[in-house]
Amino acid sequence: MRLKLLCRCASALCFAALLMPIFHPRTAHAQGGEPQYFAIRGAKVFPVSGPPIEGATVVISRGMITAISKDAAIPAEAWVIDGKGLNVYPGLVDAFTDVGIPAAPAGGGEGGGPRRPQERSNGPEDRPASTPWRSGADEANLSDKRIETWRNGGFTTVICAPKGGFFPGEGAVLDLAGEHAGDMVVKTPVALPLSFQGASGFGGGFPDSLLGVLSYVHQVWLDTDWSVKAQEIYEKNPHGLARPRYDRTEATLAEALEDHALVLVPGNNRVQLRRALELIERWHVTGGIYGGQMGYEVAPEIAAKKLSVLVDLKWPEGEKDADPEAKPSLRTLEFRDRAPSTPSAFAKAGVKFAFYSGGLSAPKDILKAAKKSIDAGLASDAALRAFTLTPAEIFGVADRLGSIENGKVANLVVTDGDLFDEKTKVKMVFVDGRRFEVHEPEKPKDPPKGDITGKWKLSYTTPEGAEESSADLVMDKDGTISGSLSSPRGTANIISGNLSGNKFTFTINIVLDQGATDVTFDGTFEGNSLKGSIAVMGMSLDFTGVKPESTASGATVQGGAQ
Amino acid sequence: MLHAGRARSILQCLLCLFCFSYSAIAATPPDGPSVILIQNATVMTVSHGTIEHGSVLIKDGKITEVGQSIKAPAGAQVIDASGQFVIPGIIDCHSHIAAEAINEGSVSVSSMVSMEEVLNPDDIDIYRDLAGGVTAANILHGSANSIGGQTLVIKLRWGQPASKLPFEGALPGIKFALGENPKRSNFSVPGQPRRYPATRMGVEETIRNAFSQARDYKKTWDDYNKRVAAGEKNLIPPRRDLKLEPLVEVLEGKRYVHSHCYREDEILMLLRVAKEFGFKVRTFQHVLEGYKVADEIAAAGVGGSTFSDWWAYKVEAYDAIPYNAALMTRRGVVVSINSDDAEEATHLNQEAAKSMKYGGLSHDEALKMVTLNPAIQLGIDKRVGTIDVGKDADLTIYNHDPLSAYAVVQKTLIDGRVYFDREKDLANRAEMEKEKKALTEKLKKAEKKPEEKKPPEKKPEERPKPPASSATPTAAAAAPGGAQ
Amino acid sequence: MSPVRRLPSFLCFLSLFCILYLPGASPAQAQSQPQPSVYAITHAKIFTLAGPPIEDGTLVIRDGKIGAVGSSVNVPAGAQVIDAKGLQVYPGLFDAVTQMGLSEIGAVSATVDTTEAGSYNPDVVAATAISPSSEHIPVTRASGITEVLAVPGGGGGRGGDPGILGGQASAIHLAGWTIDEMLIKKSVAMVLNFPEIQTQTFDFTTFSRREKPYAEAKQEYDRQINELTDWMDRARHYAQAMEKGSVSKYDRDVKLEALAPVIRGELPVLVFANRARDIRNAVEFCDKQKLKMILAGGEETYKVKDLLRSKDIPVILRPMLSLPLDEDDPYDRLLSQPAELAAAGVKFAIASFDNSFARRLGQQAANAVAYGLPYDQGLRAVTVNPAQILGLGSQIGTLEQGKIANVIVTNGDPLELTTDVKYLFIRGQLASLENKHHRLYEKYLNRPKTSN
Repeated sequence: MRLKLLCRCASALCFAALLMPIFHPRTAHAQGGEPQYFAIRGAKVFPVSGPPIEGATVVISRGMITAISKDAAIPAEAWVIDGKGLNVYPGLVDAFTDVGIPAAPAGGGEGGGPRRPQERSNGPEDRPASTPWRSGADEANLSDKRIETWRNGGFTTVICAPKGGFFPGEGAVLDLAGEHAGDMVVKTPVALPLSFQGASGFGGGFPDSLLGVLSYVHQVWLDTDWSVKAQEIYEKNPHGLARPRYDRTEATLAEALEDHALVLVPGNNRVQLRRALELIERWHVTGGIYGGQMGYEVAPEIAAKKLSVLVDLKWPEGEKDADPEAKPSLRTLEFRDRAPSTPSAFAKAGVKFAFYSGGLSAPKDILKAAKKSIDAGLASDAALRAFTLTPAEIFGVADRLGSIENGKVANLVVTDGDLFDEKTKVKMVFVDGRRFEVHEPEKPKDPPKGDITGKWKLSYTTPEGAEESSADLVMDKDGTISGSLSSPRGTANIISGNLSGNKFTFTINIVLDQGATDVTFDGTFEGNSLKGSIAVMGMSLDFTGVKPESTASGATVQGGAQ
Repeated sequence: MLHAGRARSILQCLLCLFCFSYSAIAATPPDGPSVILIQNATVMTVSHGTIEHGSVLIKDGKITEVGQSIKAPAGAQVIDASGQFVIPGIIDCHSHIAAEAINEGSVSVSSMVSMEEVLNPDDIDIYRDLAGGVTAANILHGSANSIGGQTLVIKLRWGQPASKLPFEGALPGIKFALGENPKRSNFSVPGQPRRYPATRMGVEETIRNAFSQARDYKKTWDDYNKRVAAGEKNLIPPRRDLKLEPLVEVLEGKRYVHSHCYREDEILMLLRVAKEFGFKVRTFQHVLEGYKVADEIAAAGVGGSTFSDWWAYKVEAYDAIPYNAALMTRRGVVVSINSDDAEEATHLNQEAAKSMKYGGLSHDEALKMVTLNPAIQLGIDKRVGTIDVGKDADLTIYNHDPLSAYAVVQKTLIDGRVYFDREKDLANRAEMEKEKKALTEKLKKAEKKPEEKKPPEKKPEERPKPPASSATPTAAAAAPGGAQ
Repeated sequence: MSPVRRLPSFLCFLSLFCILYLPGASPAQAQSQPQPSVYAITHAKIFTLAGPPIEDGTLVIRDGKIGAVGSSVNVPAGAQVIDAKGLQVYPGLFDAVTQMGLSEIGAVSATVDTTEAGSYNPDVVAATAISPSSEHIPVTRASGITEVLAVPGGGGGRGGDPGILGGQASAIHLAGWTIDEMLIKKSVAMVLNFPEIQTQTFDFTTFSRREKPYAEAKQEYDRQINELTDWMDRARHYAQAMEKGSVSKYDRDVKLEALAPVIRGELPVLVFANRARDIRNAVEFCDKQKLKMILAGGEETYKVKDLLRSKDIPVILRPMLSLPLDEDDPYDRLLSQPAELAAAGVKFAIASFDNSFARRLGQQAANAVAYGLPYDQGLRAVTVNPAQILGLGSQIGTLEQGKIANVIVTNGDPLELTTDVKYLFIRGQLASLENKHHRLYEKYLNRPKTSN
């Protein structure tokens, strides 16, 4: 049996971190040589554990919150921050994500190691698409650029779990800062997410349908149960008994259950939600549900079972590229209309719920999505709680974070207005008592000339030969570029970019063998073509881009770059 | 399923396979009065003839009186069915509706999977079949495997959650499949090796092998339980095996076998295997060559559930004849006509009528094919299948003789509740259109807001551009260098 | 499995097939003696579909044609008389879209000749590949269908790639020793499977559903339309060159030559389209190209009924016993469409679009009647309307003097499920109602009882 990972206490690790050399080349943006004492004075503080306090002072000492009141004593060594006009909230929690685990290069890579392609499975005994031993704690890596993105949006904490397969791996509570990856881990394991997606498809190995997936999970739980029992009996008296075989899946699951990791079952529409309720009951596990968007239909049933729900904030909406004559069905429309009312239905029914980012890739959008729930009837303090104390409670870390209280980890977000107001800006964030100032993103110097939005085919030649990528770019009015880039190596979101005049630049972060690295594309944009260079790890490649959709209208298609 | 001749239904079945998330409409179960009297109808009881100007009295979901003139009790809802025809609700012995997945086709024995777990009460085909007079259906796993998944009988209680669909007390079943589908004659998956079995010989051995394992499994548990009962300690229990447990139930007579089959030889093969292992086959499904071995099927006490007139969509259906139902009936087989298809199920009454034309069955015999006979085959005939006192009030009301192509279902009742009412359906259509339009407008307005951010220089004749939505990633908050 | 190993087993399979099935298959016309050429059907109720029904009427068939019909028609000397007292006489049913003779067993590609490879095959002709010995012919005939249109290029079926210009459809009688005897008209219409903007596609090779962005689907559609337009332009040029006599036999192009009558408006295009947008696009295309259009499929015709009526475009409808296209469609959307089209004045026929389900043709029409279509319109939708729509109205479809004598004598409403066809004439000859199904029925009806 593998060494058991007991809860790791973040504060102890933080303390250790403070004694270490203060500069680390891998994390150039890490804070060094900073005060360990802060006082935010005269701010409006939302402790969440209690009512808001106007004009209060919050004192942070060595990673902890040590005082919060109108007349808190400010230590002499503290860096005093004038909190006038500012709001202070507990650091936000993204209750289910893989932020913290850098995107794997195409073809896999399990926590750094290469992931072998799954062999064709002939039944549950082959443990198809199951890696419960993977762990958000083990695979967390500061090189994930999203850490900074999330933090800048006010998120100090995530429940991070690997993705992929039916038993993707264990979830851990991570704080989004540190000198070393281990610094981030607050507690692990806290969750054991399941997924019912990713069946092999018709003609593939077992399972190739939802039918098979469910039967598979049933069998795995039975096997896990059996293995615990069989081991116990065998250990007591092996004499004359056939030795039970070791199975990594069973062993890991048994341990996670012993650790009271919450088994997270997917369920988004009402059929899936009701099915999830039945499955959790059938499996006799401590369960929770993620998805939850049609909760407005089944909130009382979930409340009756006293189960917690992680609500996916990527609300259902029309496809961007939908056929204009394809009319969505009434039930689809109703779902799109009513999904944001789910949190308020949960609040009314007494269902404990927390928010997670789901498919959203920008913190701004996460808060905007939550605002939709508020518009649909959710009290804004309830929305705040679903981002802070509730997820902390659900994952068993409310004793150390989730609210602004004495002795808790100093995870704070400081804003210049109401958290859910679209105009509000995050001014600074504290993670484990480290201060991160949030600057406005760089704006393009000149107004953009034209619109770079669209699907682009990029061609270039790497040392390994000619290669093509496709870039899906979206440009804001001010020239800010977002979107994603897909290459044979995988897909990455654009972390920054803009079009200034006809000069564009955008940057993605990818994982190469040597580790995570930024890749910056810049050059000139004209109508239907892009021309420029790719900068990666000190090298530079030329590239050209065309819009395949418009090749018919006369744009020239360039072959691979030189 | 998987009949090449009905490409469309295959496609739908296959699409079904991949359709995981299915959103739902807010349908609520119809609430009805507890006492209903249907009067002035031609009541075709199936069990005891036809009653002209007859009445059926329903109390709390059960039929409490059937006769010529029944007085309406106080507070009863009266359905005047003058000129209309009441029959027992249609029972479809082979259906693939109301499920989010049909086939676990990866393995030759998929007995570990269960249709009950993937029931989808929001499948619109439930309603469409209700509108075709169907009140109960045998929801079967697909035919990709020699031994397929666990099956169940449902009532078409549209609007109720999945947990309310199963037919209470009906014995569960398991799907078997013989012939071209399990041996995969008509399709292959590129890049995949042929799957065992690839012949009818292999199909037999697959089933024999599975039951040998099941027999051993049962013995292992029996031994263990005996030793525990004898006070032995320190025993490691056997592992539970979800694949073998349903097969043990078959051996113990606790689960029905519904076997898809076509050719005469494979029909007899399964009868031999069943005899060898001491289990019963409950129904042969499709059984298009059943007429060739009807005596043998009748002697084994197995039901035959077939199509009315499907043929020639594959080689094993080339000897299919529309006289099959009549021929099997004449030789003593209990025969039903099934749909295997959500659309076909909407006119099973018409399909049953064809057995009068092809083989000369009587009106009553034909009607039984979609009412009493499937009820017998599914072991639910004590509850449904005829219009008799004490039975569930599952009834279908037509405007013409149901064995005519001109008959249109007016109402369908399950447990004494009106689940389909043609008049209401017609009346609701405009309302639904209106609601949909309003909702579309509302959502369009809500999604328009972020559109303002789009650059204004876009010309309308440019290619259609994805409308911006709140899900569009924006880089504003994602720029690096925020914390120096 | 290697092809070398596969071959013998495949041959075994074929020979097995022959032994089992071929000897039992009788020629389409199962008469052994020469038939009389004059018949008189007397005392029947005759539905001519060219006027009101005739009670106690007489129908005379002479030399393959209808010689006379009426209530006071004399029985010619030497005529074989069929006393049809209590029986009814109708024109034989006409199934306007089938793959009759082109497809025997759907799943066995060796028996299927419906769809040529490639997207543009205007030169291929259904009649070429129709097997007069197909078991489907006598089976279909027994249900009262006397003639069909055999349609290449997918024939309106779904699944697979049917191409765009599918070839020429042939109208045939369901009896005859050879295709020449069966032919009504070799080239009746050019099949055009109209391109669709398809955002939802299903990949049969990987069995997975693909969602295409609209822009991409539209682009693919535009490409197909450009290609199709190009074909038409070239055909037009070719047709002009032909007229001027400047096409020498050395630069003949069989494909363009096949399109020439289409361009000249002589040969209609049978346009397969179901969704309203596709129908609108097809109408616009045919308008621009000045083609004579017949719509086939037409599941959303109700949405474009005014357009079709204004352009005088007829439609051959897919079976109404089909599920609605969209979840929110009324459950009887397709069943009630014929009534709606009839009320709007759109001319339509109803067809099976199939072989093994061809015998459900009457059932389809009856169901349309059940959902509001006037009965006589239902009957016309499977008799005279298809004949007229396909340009054969002067030859067939009604019981009028001089028309081809394709006649059925029934014991009731030919659309009803339980009605039997008692006599069936094709080209004035009494055709057998016997078929494979009936033979197997007789055989196994007489299987000695086994004692178990």
